[in-house]
Amino acid sequence: MRLVAAQLKMELTTLVRNYEQLLLIMVIPIGVLVFFGNVAVLPDSITLTRLVASVLTLSLISTAMVSTGIATGFERSYHVLKRLGVTPLGRSRLIWAKAGSVSVVEFVQVTVLVAIAIGLGWSVAGLSWWRLMLALLLGTAAFAGIGLCLAGRLRAEANLAAQNGLYLVLLALGGVIVPVDDLPDGLGAVARYLPSGALAEVMHASLGGTPSGVWLFVDSPLGAWLVLASWALIAPLAASRLFRFDG
Amino acid sequence: MFVVNQRRHGNALEVRDLVIRYGDVTAVDGVSFAATFGEVTAVLGRNGAGKTSTLEACEGVRRAASGTIHVLGADISSISNDVRARIGVMLQDGGIAPNARVRSLVRHYCTLYARGVDADELVAKVGLHDRRSSTWRRLSGGERQRFSLALALAAAPEIAFLDEPTAGVDLDGREMIRGIIADLVQDGCGVVLATHDLDEAERVAHRAVVLHQGRVALNDTVASLCAGGRRLEDVVREVTR
Repeated sequence: MRLVAAQLKMELTTLVRNYEQLLLIMVIPIGVLVFFGNVAVLPDSITLTRLVASVLTLSLISTAMVSTGIATGFERSYHVLKRLGVTPLGRSRLIWAKAGSVSVVEFVQVTVLVAIAIGLGWSVAGLSWWRLMLALLLGTAAFAGIGLCLAGRLRAEANLAAQNGLYLVLLALGGVIVPVDDLPDGLGAVARYLPSGALAEVMHASLGGTPSGVWLFVDSPLGAWLVLASWALIAPLAASRLFRFDG
Repeated sequence: MFVVNQRRHGNALEVRDLVIRYGDVTAVDGVSFAATFGEVTAVLGRNGAGKTSTLEACEGVRRAASGTIHVLGADISSISNDVRARIGVMLQDGGIAPNARVRSLVRHYCTLYARGVDADELVAKVGLHDRRSSTWRRLSGGERQRFSLALALAAAPEIAFLDEPTAGVDLDGREMIRGIIADLVQDGCGVVLATHDLDEAERVAHRAVVLHQGRVALNDTVASLCAGGRRLEDVVREVTR
């Protein structure tokens, strides 16, 4: 436990010193929420609850997939993981420390974003905390798994490009910014199978938003929960098989 | 400053019939040797001879296809963290992120190893006191090697694996590293050193294990190999021709 705590402290210190990461995990989500919460440029179908759900989804993808994936990819290419793996910390404690780091960041993100949302006039009356926690847990497992699949296989520069590219595609076309119901038919159908679309939908439902009708073959949000849970199972399993500590 | 190791006798490392493969290529083919406490064992050979692969298998970084490795009496494939805490490792490629600061990372490694080594004293010992706030990317080649060596010393090691510790290091830096290795040996630590620098090996090593095409071509004391005024470089050149 002492070693995990020491490594967790190191992970968080490194993160705080990395301004690009802070931009990605804090500045962008806060900026999006504050801007679209104040400036009436979104269609009426996107309520404040939908906006908050989208921003929480965006922040989770930023932290669990992009930030973790890029940092881990570079650590792998610099042989940092290999070096730490032969200290008494070992690989398993290193993974626990990284999971702890992601959890701490997400806790801060959710706290700050929910506080800002309340300041914008959003009410927590419909919020189900346990559903929100479950959504965060499943979403983190799914996106960290995807991020580590890329980080554990690609060269650092290719991984950087892939993580950023996937992030933009998921935000724009994966049901995060634009709800799956508002996407063109073909894209909407695909987005229902993606973890991003499913996470945005379960976030929306957890915050008290109205479910968006049928999700695949069952009613939402059950269908979205099933899709997200599948990704949360498959992606970490794939990462555990594909990830190489040494670049 | 450092935890003084209880003087031990016998083998700090025992490698038997080690085989390492990369796909269809056999990089290490039945290598056996031992390294003793209180001595420097140099693993020598040309590029691609299998030196780094052998060292990495001994450190637990690389998995062997077959054979056994015992470090401080423990099988490396199932080594406990208590034993791992007594092993110093200096990787050929550093294993340090470019934005890592000298003092901060050395202190972190001292915490991970928990062997009572004072980080500030360690930074001073490797001559980086004036560079303690610098990041890895701002250090010269020689300073980077000493930074990497400091991480190995954070273990107050009973056995230290040092892969090319003097590569890219100037004369003063070499002298400093030589002094640090001598201190380790005096404390009873077994030092296993992989190097291309045969002059350096001749100066510091007690035993030389020469690898050629993944096999042991020679395993003897440096004193025996250099008997009659022969240079180690000539001996190695002869057996790896």
